[in-house]
Amino acid sequence: MQNRRKFIGQTALATAALLSSRTALAGLGADEGVKKLTILHTNDVHSRLEPFPMDGGRNQGLGGVAARADLIKKIRGEVENVLLLDAGDIFQGTPFFNIYKGEPEMKAMAAMGYDAATMGNHDFDAGLENFATQLQHGNFPLLICNYDFTATPMEFKYQPYKIFKKGGIKIGVTGVGIEMAGLVPDSLYGKTKYLDPIQKVNETAAMLKNEDGCDMIICLSHLGNKYKDNKVSDEVLARETENIDLIIGGHTHTFMDAPAVYKNKTGSDVIVNQVGWAGIMLGRLDFEFAGFKRKNLAKSHTVVVGKKTME
Amino acid sequence: MSKIGKFLSAGLLIASILFSCTLSYQAQKVQYNDYRIAPGTRQDSSMLQLLKPYSDSLSKSMYEVVAVAETDLEKKQPEGPLGNFLADAMLVMAEKSYATHVDAAFINYGGIRLPSIAAGDITRAKVFELSPFDNLLVIQKINGKVLQEFLDHVAAKGGWPCSGIRMQIRNKKAVNITIGGSPLNESAIYTIANNDYVANGGDDCAMLKPIPQVSNGYIFRDAILDYLADLKKQGKKISAKTENRVSNAE
Repeated sequence: MQNRRKFIGQTALATAALLSSRTALAGLGADEGVKKLTILHTNDVHSRLEPFPMDGGRNQGLGGVAARADLIKKIRGEVENVLLLDAGDIFQGTPFFNIYKGEPEMKAMAAMGYDAATMGNHDFDAGLENFATQLQHGNFPLLICNYDFTATPMEFKYQPYKIFKKGGIKIGVTGVGIEMAGLVPDSLYGKTKYLDPIQKVNETAAMLKNEDGCDMIICLSHLGNKYKDNKVSDEVLARETENIDLIIGGHTHTFMDAPAVYKNKTGSDVIVNQVGWAGIMLGRLDFEFAGFKRKNLAKSHTVVVGKKTME
Repeated sequence: MSKIGKFLSAGLLIASILFSCTLSYQAQKVQYNDYRIAPGTRQDSSMLQLLKPYSDSLSKSMYEVVAVAETDLEKKQPEGPLGNFLADAMLVMAEKSYATHVDAAFINYGGIRLPSIAAGDITRAKVFELSPFDNLLVIQKINGKVLQEFLDHVAAKGGWPCSGIRMQIRNKKAVNITIGGSPLNESAIYTIANNDYVANGGDDCAMLKPIPQVSNGYIFRDAILDYLADLKKQGKKISAKTENRVSNAE
């Protein structure tokens, strides 16, 4: 891949390179050539640290952090720019959680080099204080923009968003959580306030785009893929937002054959992906970016989605 | 962008910085390729080491066989064998631990955390996976009107496992309800068992929230384990099936 700073430094070559990459992307009106970013993601792993036992069950042998860790290492050796993300419900589902309350889950995620995660309803299961305590084993930020944790044990343990820089691309990542009332026992979420996810995501994304100049904005979501009624979901969120490029979903344990693509409020494409549950799958999305002068940025843009051929 | 032209002549370094500031990147293309973490995938040895002390300690207590399933038990809506087994266990153990007659027992569908259990040995760990929450088994006395409201909610959710009751789902409402063989009577008082998550209004069961609960602190998972221990003592296997407890009306 072209190192931009270097080639700008070489005047004559720079012009030529710029022209050729322009030619290559002439149809898109791009001002500079391709940059790449690989997103790896999980959701609803539910304490599945070891593969499902070999007991004849439907999922026997699937999942497990040791196999996932090996795969992640391999991918990191093959591509330069990787973001590893999780969309919540890290906890609850195997005896590991009943006995150790989340410590090995967090340690395993730290060892795999997770860049960020958001919070699912089951991450409240051993209480907010426990979640806040277990985060110390995680060394990755917990991102959520629509929970107000004021006066709870989580108050200083989360961030509404984080900006990552990978290979010349500036990526803003935020997170959004599901409404707790009727889902999470009152005693577990305590004074946590749920705020309108669409409004908070739009506020956060507008700031990341306009003030911080992010090239891509990702929302980790534990809202759920879609519902029969009009309950807010990733589908609703995608359509009602501006500036979100990618939603990494969770909660509904949805295995998707391919990422879903929706048009947002300004007609741009929003990609939504979710990989079931229990770490049976590791999601992978390889993005390609083109550089534009600000004035040449398309107001609404399309993303071409294709299935990567396995090498 | 005439500004940039000016700076370019002034100095390439400054220009390059400014140039990078003026470019924005937009995603043009994405290729997806989700990996299935299948058996036989290479394992990372340092991760196995990280897990070892935790899993060694667990395996001592968790891998005892506590029951045998005669057939595969599937989680299904409006009704399935796995749910029927759990609802029956709840009803039997509620009657036993509270020493009272219980008319009906319910399991919130989302509270069953495995999609199925295969025929054969069931370990203690499997019961933890099936019912990981430390929810309590509680009973409540409710009138037929509230029961109807609760069953309508169960119907709207697509049908939940139940024991002691039969119903059909029509237009997201519960119809043709019988309790212990008799039609639902709106003015009668029924004793129902639930986990305290549901009784406290969880899974949108707000109609149950104001109703007093009788609770002796019995964790529902322990109730399942005790029920399985009783089966084992009697030399019985788990043999639940679908039997039209909850069905969709024509």
